[in-house]
Amino acid sequence: MRVEYINPFVEAAYNVLTEVLNTEVKRGNLFLKAATKSVMGVAAIVGLAGEVEGRVLFDMSKQTAIKIASVMNMEELTELDELAKATISELANMITAQAVTKLHELGFKFDLTPPALITGENMEVSDQEVEALIVPMETPHGSIEINVAVRERS
Amino acid sequence: MKTKVDFPSINEREPDGRREDGTSYRVLVVDDSMFVTKQIGQILTSEGFEVVGTAADGEAGVEKYKELYPNVDLVTMDITMPRMDGVTALEKIIEFDKQARVVMISALGKQDLVKQSLLLGAKNYIVKPLDRMKVLERIVSSLH
Repeated sequence: MRVEYINPFVEAAYNVLTEVLNTEVKRGNLFLKAATKSVMGVAAIVGLAGEVEGRVLFDMSKQTAIKIASVMNMEELTELDELAKATISELANMITAQAVTKLHELGFKFDLTPPALITGENMEVSDQEVEALIVPMETPHGSIEINVAVRERS
Repeated sequence: MKTKVDFPSINEREPDGRREDGTSYRVLVVDDSMFVTKQIGQILTSEGFEVVGTAADGEAGVEKYKELYPNVDLVTMDITMPRMDGVTALEKIIEFDKQARVVMISALGKQDLVKQSLLLGAKNYIVKPLDRMKVLERIVSSLH
């Protein structure tokens, strides 16, 4: 997978997280996963289809999701309820929209699916025939991994 | 002790959401995200606006507008929604009430749809993430 696909997502995640959390966000080191990877507990997934196809996963622990949703709602949430889920979906929406705008400017044409939120323990994600690039974003509320597996349509 | 006379307080500024006679501007919020609906509601009510209705898709938004009319001053309209998108809902609301004031709420990268909405009669637009000042400024300017 070409690294240029992931950079807009990392940049967008950095911009959006810094703005909505109003805090410092650090970008961790990029790593590659060829096969199966475990999911941390809450994952927002957005599909891409067009000249470029694949999926982007925003992966975080349940605790991190609740804390981030609390900050974004300016109220203490104690569980991953409907509001918290809607908040994390919206976060994924905002990051993806910004990244995709950048990718469109670079000439890649594709559509997006609305984000789906997957929650649970002991989950894994497997990508057939395309490896995933992962960049962890460190926030004071925990880490969010931006996990991108896309390829050009053959 | 200082009195109010010594300190003309900025807190005495009229909230943006009230008319000169003290009544609130009435807003209908149409958005499929519970988070965004709540966020817009919080920003608006903190400035004296009254959220008179919410709807989670375009179709319900149009119905709600007709139900509330003429007791509604402004609509915030998400663009991407299930059942009926915000641009179609805007078109239907303008068809019903030419004077309707609709402000579009958009994710980044929907310039074409925003442009189309403005041509169809939307008064303004706001790009997410929503920021308090940006929301109030765009909504207030759409009311005057």
